[in-house]
Amino acid sequence: MGPLAPNEIISENTNYLIAFFIGIGFGWVLESSGFSSSRKLAGIFYGYDAVVLKVFFTAAVTAMLGLLFMSLFGWIDLDLVYVNPTYLTSAIVGGIIMGAGFIMGGFCPGTSFCGAAIGKIDAMVFIAGLFIGVYGFAFTYGWLEKLYLARYMGEPKISEKLGLSDGLFGLLLILAAIGMFIVAEWAEKKFPREEY
Amino acid sequence: MNSNSKTGRSRKYLNPYLGGVLLGLVLLAANFVSGRGLGASGAIKSVVATTIEVVDRDAFNTMPFMAEYAEMHSGSPMRSWLVFQMLGVIAGGFLSGILSGRLRLQVEHSPKITSRRRLVFALAGGILFGFGSQLGRGCTSGSALSGMAVLSLGGFVTMMAIFGTAFALAYFFRRNWI
Amino acid sequence: MKPLKLLALIIIPLGIIIAAIPADRVNHSRLSPDELLQEAGTGTQFISPDVVADMLVQKDPSLRLIDVRTPEEFDAYSMPGAVNIPLSNLLADEYTDILNQDAYVNVFYSNGSVYANQAWMITRQLGYVNNFVLEGGLNYWFGNILSPEAPSQTSPNEEFAKYDFRKSAAAALGGGSVVPAESVTPAVKAVKPPVTARAKKKPSGGC
Repeated sequence: MGPLAPNEIISENTNYLIAFFIGIGFGWVLESSGFSSSRKLAGIFYGYDAVVLKVFFTAAVTAMLGLLFMSLFGWIDLDLVYVNPTYLTSAIVGGIIMGAGFIMGGFCPGTSFCGAAIGKIDAMVFIAGLFIGVYGFAFTYGWLEKLYLARYMGEPKISEKLGLSDGLFGLLLILAAIGMFIVAEWAEKKFPREEY
Repeated sequence: MNSNSKTGRSRKYLNPYLGGVLLGLVLLAANFVSGRGLGASGAIKSVVATTIEVVDRDAFNTMPFMAEYAEMHSGSPMRSWLVFQMLGVIAGGFLSGILSGRLRLQVEHSPKITSRRRLVFALAGGILFGFGSQLGRGCTSGSALSGMAVLSLGGFVTMMAIFGTAFALAYFFRRNWI
Repeated sequence: MKPLKLLALIIIPLGIIIAAIPADRVNHSRLSPDELLQEAGTGTQFISPDVVADMLVQKDPSLRLIDVRTPEEFDAYSMPGAVNIPLSNLLADEYTDILNQDAYVNVFYSNGSVYANQAWMITRQLGYVNNFVLEGGLNYWFGNILSPEAPSQTSPNEEFAKYDFRKSAAAALGGGSVVPAESVTPAVKAVKPPVTARAKKKPSGGC
């Protein structure tokens, strides 16, 4: 019965070891899908390359369906799976800052490591920036603490907040994603760019 | 089509839908084995915490942000799930790069701008993203992607904010990309 | 076939299936009727009034008494430190944290034990743990803890021990006063139920 580590079916050290292998899978898939290229990543915002949208939402939907079905079959206890907490203010403000960082830098932390792994110097510089940003946050935390802790809502699920069942919300998300993919493919045809 | 390729030397990229399904399976595995999703910015935080601790123990103990972190991680701050995962990411990316012939030391940038300009923006973007990821308690991998998979409201909100802002600001940075 | 079409053909039906299945089949923390029937049959939800008395006397911080009667009855008399959650209002949002937790031993009580037991059934079905029912309710509490009857001289020693214990508990809790009978065995040291760490210990995660 999963999840294995919280149920103590595997030890903490095994958990860390598996984390390494999961990371390999993560990095491999990211790089193979082209996420090591900042120009591909930024493409969704200009219409010429929707790889971010397609991979991201397909992955989210796949994992979500997987979790719901596994819970249905009794293979996993969803109450033991980490659900990100919601601090509304900092989620929005942090997201805005990250959005700006994304369009400027063309990377996010995970993809920057992939890019750096294959030799992209801009990715390495991005990583350097990440460190500076985190240090900056650590040292200015005093001023930001109130913002950071504001509007704590617990760990609500979207489906709870909308009054839908998990499964129904999942279906809506799937339909929305397919809709976005259709639009994205149209955009890619309309705004082609040269190979990169 | 959407699998772009470089010149005949390197392999084409995976079909994005296939990549998405594979990534989703990796994420599912992470949740099944470890009860948590993927992530990235947390590993940076671990390294930062370790360096602060090593360089200036007192500062480490008095900084409220670090104290909160130290509480959650007994032992060395580097002993964290995310750190091991990120080491794997580097290895995985590297392996994929080798096998597909995409290993190359370069600054990737639009032909319309200089390398230097690209690097300046990469640095600035990194700083913003690093700062924002701590405030937002996660980055696109940890908060948006993993959050969506478990239907977390916070994850969803962060995702909308990131992508919404990037879309909104895209016009102002278009020179860098197209 | 275009990849997008293939993808859609696979995930949309899966989505429909998962949406169609009722939520509590998907989420397993709730109990099925069979499971609930089994558990109710074992009677483990009952907590002895002696145990509760002991916890009160020792000022055990993990005890939380929950009065499921109406507010009027609660105001007329309530057990020391009790909170009032009228049964009709049991499922209100504001009480979820009180009922679904792993820090306290919650003990439902009512005049008899019918309403308290109902409260237990409802919360147990939702998957909550650490909730118990005061055996005998207030009726038994008044009659036997606060004013215990002295056992006859031919009763076994345990009865005397229990009586002594109840005497001192009653004194501590403000019950009637009677001279304790003689006995040899030390007072019954009741064992309180262990608080089940709700298996919902959320792992840490995030970025």
